[in-house]
Amino acid sequence: MASDETTTPLGRWLARGDDEQDLWGRLVPGPSVDDVARRLSAVPRSFLEPGLSLRSLVGDVLDDLAPDPLGQLAGPARRAADVAGEIDESGHDAARRGAAVALWTWASQDELGPAEPRLLTRSADRVLAALAWRLAPVVDPRVWLADAERRDEAARSLLFWGGQLPAGEDAATARALLEARDSLRRDQSLSQALAEQQHRLEVMRRLREARAREAAARPGHE
Amino acid sequence: MSAPAPGAADPGAPDPDAPDPLDLDEYVPGTSVALTDDERWPTLTPEGRDRLLRLRDHPAAPAWVHRTGDRLTAEGVERSRTPLPLAGWLDEHLATARRLPAYRRSDLPLDRLDQWPFTTRDDLVDDVSAFVPLDADLDLMVQGSSSGSTGRALLIPDHVEEVARTFHLYVSLVRDLGVDWRPDPDRMALAHVVHQRQAFTYASVLSGFGQATTARVNLHPGQWGAPGRRAAFFADQRPQVVSGSPTSLAELLQPDLAGLLRPLALFSGATALSAPLRADLEAAFDCPVIDVYGLHETRPIAVSSDGGPHVVLDRRLVVEVVDPAGAAVAPGERGEIVVTAGENPLLPLVRYRTGDFARLVDVDGRPALADHEGRDPTVFAHGDGSLVPCIDLTQHLQAARCRGWSVHQDRGGAVRAVVVGGDAEMVRSRLGALLGRPVDVRRVPTLLDLGEGKPRRYVSEATAS
Repeated sequence: MASDETTTPLGRWLARGDDEQDLWGRLVPGPSVDDVARRLSAVPRSFLEPGLSLRSLVGDVLDDLAPDPLGQLAGPARRAADVAGEIDESGHDAARRGAAVALWTWASQDELGPAEPRLLTRSADRVLAALAWRLAPVVDPRVWLADAERRDEAARSLLFWGGQLPAGEDAATARALLEARDSLRRDQSLSQALAEQQHRLEVMRRLREARAREAAARPGHE
Repeated sequence: MSAPAPGAADPGAPDPDAPDPLDLDEYVPGTSVALTDDERWPTLTPEGRDRLLRLRDHPAAPAWVHRTGDRLTAEGVERSRTPLPLAGWLDEHLATARRLPAYRRSDLPLDRLDQWPFTTRDDLVDDVSAFVPLDADLDLMVQGSSSGSTGRALLIPDHVEEVARTFHLYVSLVRDLGVDWRPDPDRMALAHVVHQRQAFTYASVLSGFGQATTARVNLHPGQWGAPGRRAAFFADQRPQVVSGSPTSLAELLQPDLAGLLRPLALFSGATALSAPLRADLEAAFDCPVIDVYGLHETRPIAVSSDGGPHVVLDRRLVVEVVDPAGAAVAPGERGEIVVTAGENPLLPLVRYRTGDFARLVDVDGRPALADHEGRDPTVFAHGDGSLVPCIDLTQHLQAARCRGWSVHQDRGGAVRAVVVGGDAEMVRSRLGALLGRPVDVRRVPTLLDLGEGKPRRYVSEATAS
């Protein structure tokens, strides 16, 4: 990927190399899409203020990943803080709002009562990156709040990249519904970049598989 | 000489309990086993299975490190017997390449071949998937690897039918010389020999060649235990054809093998075959010696069966020779070999810079490569006087995660290594053990610190004749 592409929102997302295919096979039960969507729509105005420091907010919100007595963040919170810092520094307003909405959704479990099961934060960095770099640049988070279908997409994205399956759905159903709503896939040039990234991951995974490493008998040196 | 009975104590074998400081995990037998025999050879017949088991369990055979089949279905067997058609292939090839992720965003016109940018090995190392078509059938992909000129290992997507088709190319090259190479159930069809301290070895069956056997065999004495065991194995297998690098083929001239092998032909590859060695092999075995020039990335490019120029194969290949700036040199002038290669559907290459040099000449109306300078066949002198091929050093330098290196041995035998990245202490201890002498190691930050262009990775003045 050219260097200028790594500084675009989608370039930043693709550079992470998160493996969507693999994640679909590892989801654990989560709350319903409706529950998450309700939480999204209740985001306080303060979370969307332009001057908010996302990095600081991570330390406040991820209280189940609280700092140790020496003030060091746990691994997942530290990774999330790094992503939040990157979003802070990017100056990309939509990305900032996307990450802030995700942080609110976790914070809402203290404000509005816990989700059942609880929303997981162990992959908070991936969720922040997905909502900030993958979704927000295509659909502004303000639209998530105003449009039910886009809110549904944001809720499903948050659950999926957080490693959770929506309550009441199996993986095949959840995948079909998320892909049907996926704004990135509906944009032709962006979806092509996404397809290339998935191709890259698939080729490398196959090359590293033990089945591939058995190789095939070659007749000689070339 | 008889081979030891299975399970019998072998006084010549290394102590299995003694830790070997030079062991590499990937060469532990069975490390990469993932398939059943039915998956390795979907068309395997009872007769083929019997031959395979006799080879695999042969009492004189060395421990096979690996298991490998050709994975061919019945349809795949048939397809791989037939060369790919050549009519219109280049237009089709370039159309495929234009859709590759590597070129999709190119601002160049990419109409004619000479408008395409060059591709380098580094491009493939950085992201080989950008050169794999998005619609490729990855179920037919297996992994090959290449140590390469800068030392960074490259994973290469091999296509099972293309690998098998290359075997049939070898058969046709032999038959074109008037030698009738057909499956013989009593002989191994092809022995691919290597001579390395550690190597991938396997016993296999050629589904499309009468289910005759083939094997990758390591000739290194350390693999055989008791003296005579290597000779006993080859005396029993009687390979019809043997392929290998010049270093490996030279080992066939050892007295224990030279007197018993009766090959129909020999194939040499990987590094340049010297005229004296060719002459010695032809004299010892009274058979054609076919020198193959190619790279794993491109597959076979050209062959020489008489010691003259390497004639470019009549396959999906375009060979150019260019100057350092990338411009075509005048006919007959020396330059770098650049290859457009369309045999492997999983890696359609356009204008791939090989890093090898030659003159493009005409031989009986066909393009050929003359004065070809092959890749580095350096051998080093061990402290005890034996020879150590550079591939052995490559394995350990890669295990120490070096990105590049240069190893120099002076006339007195002293060895200096300059490595890029990696664990210098590990290099010092591994190469020291391998060469039986102290090795001075210096670590530098970048490949450029090894020198401009394509630095020679290995030089040994101690073994230079």
